[in-house]
Amino acid sequence: MYHIPPIPTWDALHPLVIHFPIVLLLLSPVFIFLGALLKEPIGGSYRIAGLILLLLGTISLFVATSTGEAAADLADRGGGVNAVLSAHENMAGYTRMFFAGLSAILLGMVLLPKLLKHEETRFSTTFMHMAFLILYSVGILFLVNTAHAGGRLVHEYGVHALLPADNSSAADAGSKSPVTSAEMDEQP
Amino acid sequence: MSQGIIKSGRTWRSLLLTVTLGTLAASAGAAPSTLENMQAAYNGESNAHARYLAFAQKADSEGYGQVASLFRAAARAEEIHAGNHAAVIRQMGGTPEAKIEAPQVGTTRENLQAAIKGETYERDTMYPTFLSQARKDRNREAIKSLNYAKTAEAEHAKLYSAALESLDSLKGSQATAYYVCPNCGFTTAELNFAKCPSCFTPKEKFEKVS
Repeated sequence: MYHIPPIPTWDALHPLVIHFPIVLLLLSPVFIFLGALLKEPIGGSYRIAGLILLLLGTISLFVATSTGEAAADLADRGGGVNAVLSAHENMAGYTRMFFAGLSAILLGMVLLPKLLKHEETRFSTTFMHMAFLILYSVGILFLVNTAHAGGRLVHEYGVHALLPADNSSAADAGSKSPVTSAEMDEQP
Repeated sequence: MSQGIIKSGRTWRSLLLTVTLGTLAASAGAAPSTLENMQAAYNGESNAHARYLAFAQKADSEGYGQVASLFRAAARAEEIHAGNHAAVIRQMGGTPEAKIEAPQVGTTRENLQAAIKGETYERDTMYPTFLSQARKDRNREAIKSLNYAKTAEAEHAKLYSAALESLDSLKGSQATAYYVCPNCGFTTAELNFAKCPSCFTPKEKFEKVS
């Protein structure tokens, strides 16, 4: 009954990978916010956790955009798909660039005082991080818009990634051929 | 012994007949394979390339410089599609073959009408059918190449329709710049985007055709 599913190709990884940046990059500011409010040394630990989540989220964003570009080549086109797909790709590019910048800034904010052995002050632990979160909210706006366009592609236009064939008996039990958006349009 | 040989001979004949009939029945109802579809697409694109170049010459001779530019840009796009299809055919172990027919050239108005008909057929019938088969076969490279072509043909149909609508005003027009994506053949009159809407190639890489 349980089996190891086929290893996805790079383009087929997109539906799996896209959830990582969404979760990680939405969770990171929660930790940064708590880190800015809590007293040391707990606050510092929360801020480092926020930084790690941001870095992981940004890395997964790069993987998501790369797999997305590969998946887009195989997407069923037509109707309004091209416009939404193009908007999704453009926004993903901006989101990636913005979060790369945010990662560099937070990395500097967290690591530089330690490297330079500067004593942390209320200004550096709280106010700077609060200001950073205001900037972060712009990134969240990019992120949710990119995700929304991706959601429209899947749930409104029926665009699917091309998953590798699963020939196991468990897959056969509920198997059906992939439905393209064109085929969905034909259905009553 | 001889009866045995005769019996054995009958068994083989009946088996051969069954296999032959089975093969015929299967081939009668079977959809063309992705390789056959790619060959057909390659042939179609190669002919479209030659046809549009002939149409461009005719448009130039009739004083429709802008329409001639459009035909040349579309011809370049079809050449790119043919190249993409050929690469897939080779990857699948085949040899790309095209039978180039002498283009039937009419007036520019008739040529535009013929071009719209051809592009509409490719956009609505030919490429969707080929894509459906390629998806069943999970042939990624074929899907990619067919997708690129289908998207570009849809743009060609729009550009040709716009040219046909304003054909009278285009009499005496000069050659105009069109831009063709070197990767997917997407054709446009304006580079009002950062990346190709079809394959995301940066607009700086687009080829200018006039």
